[in-house]
Amino acid sequence: MKFALKILKDFPSYLWSGWGAVASILLFIALWDVGNQVYGDLVLPSPLETFKTLGLMLHDENVIKEIHTTLYRASVGFGLSLLIGTALGLLAGFFATASMMSRPIVTILVGMPPIAWIVLAMIWFGMGDETVIFTVIVASFPIIFVGALQGTRTLDGELKEMAQSFKFPWHMRFFDVYFPHIFSYVFPAWVSGLGMAWKIVIMAELLATSNGIGASLATARSQLDTPSALAIVVIMIASLMFIEYIVLEPIKREVELWRD
Amino acid sequence: MGNTEENPQILHATSHYLYYPEEKNVPPYLAYGFRPIFLLLAPYMIISMLLWGLVWSGIINIPFMDNILVWHIYEMIFGVLTAGTMAFLTTGLPELFPGTVPFIGKKLKYIMILWLAGRLSFWLIDVTGVYLTALLNLSMLGWLIWFAKDAVLDKLQRHASLGYAMVVLFIIETWFFAAMAGHAQTAPMDILKVALGASVILILLALRRVNMEAVNELMEDKGIDDVYIARPPLTNLAIFTVTVFTVVEFLYPNNSALGWIGLASGAAILAITNDYILKDKFILNQPYVIYLSLIFIMLGVGYALMGWAILNGEIENITHFRHFITSGGIGLAYLMVMIIISWIHTGRHLTSNIYIHAMIGLMVTATLLRGLIPFYQEYAHELYLYSSIVWTLPFMIYIKVFFKFLTAPRADGIKG
Repeated sequence: MKFALKILKDFPSYLWSGWGAVASILLFIALWDVGNQVYGDLVLPSPLETFKTLGLMLHDENVIKEIHTTLYRASVGFGLSLLIGTALGLLAGFFATASMMSRPIVTILVGMPPIAWIVLAMIWFGMGDETVIFTVIVASFPIIFVGALQGTRTLDGELKEMAQSFKFPWHMRFFDVYFPHIFSYVFPAWVSGLGMAWKIVIMAELLATSNGIGASLATARSQLDTPSALAIVVIMIASLMFIEYIVLEPIKREVELWRD
Repeated sequence: MGNTEENPQILHATSHYLYYPEEKNVPPYLAYGFRPIFLLLAPYMIISMLLWGLVWSGIINIPFMDNILVWHIYEMIFGVLTAGTMAFLTTGLPELFPGTVPFIGKKLKYIMILWLAGRLSFWLIDVTGVYLTALLNLSMLGWLIWFAKDAVLDKLQRHASLGYAMVVLFIIETWFFAAMAGHAQTAPMDILKVALGASVILILLALRRVNMEAVNELMEDKGIDDVYIARPPLTNLAIFTVTVFTVVEFLYPNNSALGWIGLASGAAILAITNDYILKDKFILNQPYVIYLSLIFIMLGVGYALMGWAILNGEIENITHFRHFITSGGIGLAYLMVMIIISWIHTGRHLTSNIYIHAMIGLMVTATLLRGLIPFYQEYAHELYLYSSIVWTLPFMIYIKVFFKFLTAPRADGIKG
């Protein structure tokens, strides 16, 4: 409760500190506008036109439906990897053998390009939800797994001993000693996992499905509809930035303070 | 040659300078650089702004100028800038560079006469000619650069940027006079827009120093145990965006990219207010912090609205929105420098009272009246007039509150 209040209290100043970032994004958009003036509307539509297209798209029911589809896939995929990744990671962290053993496997999972996973998944599951969800899981699971593993691996032995010698009840030991430490590792891993999931879901949809934002992007490409393509890109970036920087980053900052 | 005061009790006040020149019979109004200039600037602001207001609302006609708009902007930028910069430098430099001897007495009087002659020649330009005006005004700015040379030549280059900004302004002013005298082909109005960008940069640079002194002095006074630091990266980002805006506006006026750059400049200037959010203590409720942040808000809103107007294709509104920068941001900046220096450097505490609130409030009101004309076109004539009248009120209050300080010795008995 105190934690949530502190986040809320710091939120306005956190939000206000974003002006510098806003300025550099706007300068980037100005550069984009110059690109439009140099290369023409077909290659690079102007930012203003893109944002107008975006406005129209957000009032279009079909587009909203596509967004819902994509959101569903991303949340199921991310939710599953969050549950499995966190549980397995925490568990592996408690056993030295398990963490030793899991490292090379994680390296393989991280090292394998998601595009290869998509091809395999298309063979295994066909063209549909499962392929996308599977790819999202494979891509974001390792990130969350490693974060959770680090969390339990780095638990301070002395702190554990202290908690035992003071004979803390189990719930106190968990919520006041272990949880803050573990959470300070797991939460940032969730944030990066979510970012990964959001990027992968679009790619998988583009290649393997006929609906969702990714598929709309493929349609826009085939019709040379650059304004719509860019508008979709803006939707993706804007939603990711909103979730990451407005919702999760303030929590992450507070959580990471616990480490020190 | 100088007298360094060693008394620890008044050490803080003497940190404003190390030496004080030994000149006999210096009247209080010539005892420090800011005194005469503020005594002249406040009435000058009132008289000239009322004149302009009457001109714009069509009540009177100044027969001796063929291009009133251009000259109006020139005078509001350069005529006032030399005064403000002079007050800032003659007060600030002895403090930033403790070896600098305060500029007082006879020499000060001659420079003030030079400034006055510049103003006089400006209003009589059709009688005395553009060359005399150019000579007098350029020598005033040239003298200021000469006075600030130590800052530019400083090995550590801590405050050199101020000097460079003034050199740039000197070049722009020369360019302007060349154009007015027919030696350069550039449209004078375009040069003045460049000049405005350069003076915004000079003001951002100066404000960083003013902020450091004023906010920390304030916190020390009120026993707030924290340190305020005006971080250079934030100011530099704002300066960078304003520079880009100014250059692009000169080369490609009304280009859509300029619209985005305007929005970016607005955001970058607003970002500077983040410095007021301290790590431990909350100071956003301190009046002076509110006054000072209003300068950045006005400048930021001005650039953002200009960008917005360009993107919307409402180019005719740009000039109205520019007044958020000129009447609002720059006007408030001058007013704040006048208020802060007049309190601290006459040996008093930085105080906020009903008069100071009113001064700031009236200036913001005047800016809103002027800057929001595009939304109330049907009242445009009244708004021109009212905004210039309201804009002069803060300077009238200034005269009432501060003239007795400026014409009397320092309250704490120290020289200066």
